[in-house]
Amino acid sequence: MSMPKENDMSSDFEQLSFDVFRDLLDSIIVDVASESHRIARLGLDRNLDKEEEELRLSAEARARASDPSQSGEANAKYVVDIFGQTHPPVASEIFNCMNCGRSIMAGRFAPHLEKCMGKGRKARPRTTRSTTAAQNRS
Amino acid sequence: MSRRHSVNRPPTPDVQDDDDDRAKEPTLVEIVNIKLIESGEKERLMELVRERLVECGWKDEMRALCRAFIKKNGRDNVTVDDLVRAITPKGRASIPDSVKAELLQKIRTFLVSVAY
Repeated sequence: MSMPKENDMSSDFEQLSFDVFRDLLDSIIVDVASESHRIARLGLDRNLDKEEEELRLSAEARARASDPSQSGEANAKYVVDIFGQTHPPVASEIFNCMNCGRSIMAGRFAPHLEKCMGKGRKARPRTTRSTTAAQNRS
Repeated sequence: MSRRHSVNRPPTPDVQDDDDDRAKEPTLVEIVNIKLIESGEKERLMELVRERLVECGWKDEMRALCRAFIKKNGRDNVTVDDLVRAITPKGRASIPDSVKAELLQKIRTFLVSVAY
């Protein structure tokens, strides 16, 4: 970057600061340009060509739509086991709770039991002889 | 087909100008630059600027400009110099005032500390 000679001799901090700032900025601009250049030339930027991108997205959408293991509730978290079966992330079989007799979904059974065995009405602390004794003591 | 070099750097700034006036005496800017680098302040300033410019979205803007330029001109026809030339005007102009002020303040402080 060329500068008029007066500035070389000038003790004007303002101008000097500005020049230093300019210099820093130019370096950073080169960095950014270089990075973008590299990404483009190496083909790492998958979105570079708009039509390409649209084709890719529509192909993905079509694949997702025709995928047989797709269910309404969850997203693509299905793991296929060695027999080719897929298991939905939330177990959906319904049965009757042996404690309270309600029909519960298997995937919700544990939290249900937590509350079911821990309360009649309250959320958790089950009033037994020992808890009431502890309350009376304190 | 002749292959364009990816980076066409101009030759390092000519020293002839100084030789005209004074024998090999380093310019004020060069001295400052050396002090900046030696003290590590230049590195710190660069990191600070980079961080600020990422935060405010400036870097994303510049990369978007680069992508647009590359898309327009063809991925394999673009050199780093082309990109630099393309984004520098906008790049310089779109620095947020707060970032600029912060940096200038720090630079001025540094200059004062080395000048006396």
